[in-house]
Amino acid sequence: MLKRALAIISLLIIGYWLAQGLAGVPFGEDKMLVGQYYLDHVKEQTGAVNAVTAVVVNYRGFDTLGEVTVLFIASTGVGALLWRRKKKRTAKTEGSIVLTTGTRLLVPFVMLFGAYIFIHGHLTPGGGFPGGATIATAFLLLYLAFITYEIPHKGFEKTEGLAGMGYVLVGLIGLAIGGYFLFDWIWQTWNFGTENIGRLFSGGFIPIIYTIIGLKVGTELSGIIDNMLKEEVSE
Amino acid sequence: MNALAAIGEILVLLGTFFYFLSALGLIRMPDVYNRMQTSTKSATLGSLGVLVGVGIWALGTDFGSIPWLTKTVVIAVFLLLTNPISAHALIRAAYKSGIPLWEGSVVDRYREHLEAKEKEKVEAPEGAEETPAEEGGEE
Repeated sequence: MLKRALAIISLLIIGYWLAQGLAGVPFGEDKMLVGQYYLDHVKEQTGAVNAVTAVVVNYRGFDTLGEVTVLFIASTGVGALLWRRKKKRTAKTEGSIVLTTGTRLLVPFVMLFGAYIFIHGHLTPGGGFPGGATIATAFLLLYLAFITYEIPHKGFEKTEGLAGMGYVLVGLIGLAIGGYFLFDWIWQTWNFGTENIGRLFSGGFIPIIYTIIGLKVGTELSGIIDNMLKEEVSE
Repeated sequence: MNALAAIGEILVLLGTFFYFLSALGLIRMPDVYNRMQTSTKSATLGSLGVLVGVGIWALGTDFGSIPWLTKTVVIAVFLLLTNPISAHALIRAAYKSGIPLWEGSVVDRYREHLEAKEKEKVEAPEGAEETPAEEGGEE
């Protein structure tokens, strides 16, 4: 009781403190410094209509590389923590026939939608991370509906690694062509798609990087699910 | 032009009405199964009405276009396919975890079926339980 009261009081104090700090921030006012630059130049500099993905992949691509690395480390960490020599799925009851049939019907569409999200990252809201998470959801659906389903590990782990390498490779090509890491060589040097901004074949390397990230995130999250759903088999 | 907008508005109104009914059913009904019945059915119908209605409504105004309607119809079809499956899975899980029926319930054929099956397979221990799915999901 005392503990709880102390916790509530300290949380209230912290909340008040944060609110005091936020009271000085001018929300909704025209106080953008860097943001205005992004909004003004995003189209001719990156070719993306979606300013968020342009910032995330193009202007600050290094942060996204860091995020991908964080996900990779998380997946590797889960794999290392739950490592056993013999692991098997120990689900006891199959999903009902309605669930399995529905899953069979829905999984292709969920995957298609995930691919749609990450391919159209420069045009619509979303990008590689939501698209990859959607694809991982399809695999989670398969895992939950069927007792014996397992992702094809060999292919998945290789795809994950290759996608990560692909991201770095795109950045290194930019380094070779343009002089700095993650330079948008497709847009800046090749001028590919400059005349159709707002269509699918534009956006410089944003669609390519988001396809890579989508594949990576999808396979990674599926791998984490796979690791967590399996249990040790004693023999 | 304006007829489309009017049709859309009526559909959205119908949809929100069904949303309201579903929320009401969630409060009003006595047990999990009845609540599930009212909430899922009318929420699915309400979403369909709202989504398709929004698409048609947008067609009637000057910013609407066919892609609008297409998107809403795709979302509506997706909801139409997924909502019943999720309701089925939830109800089945509720029954399997032993949540009792309402005390006013008269008949529980699924339990009878399960018990008959249990009696049947005393000698054969290993068995799948796929057949009761049809009865288990409905109510």
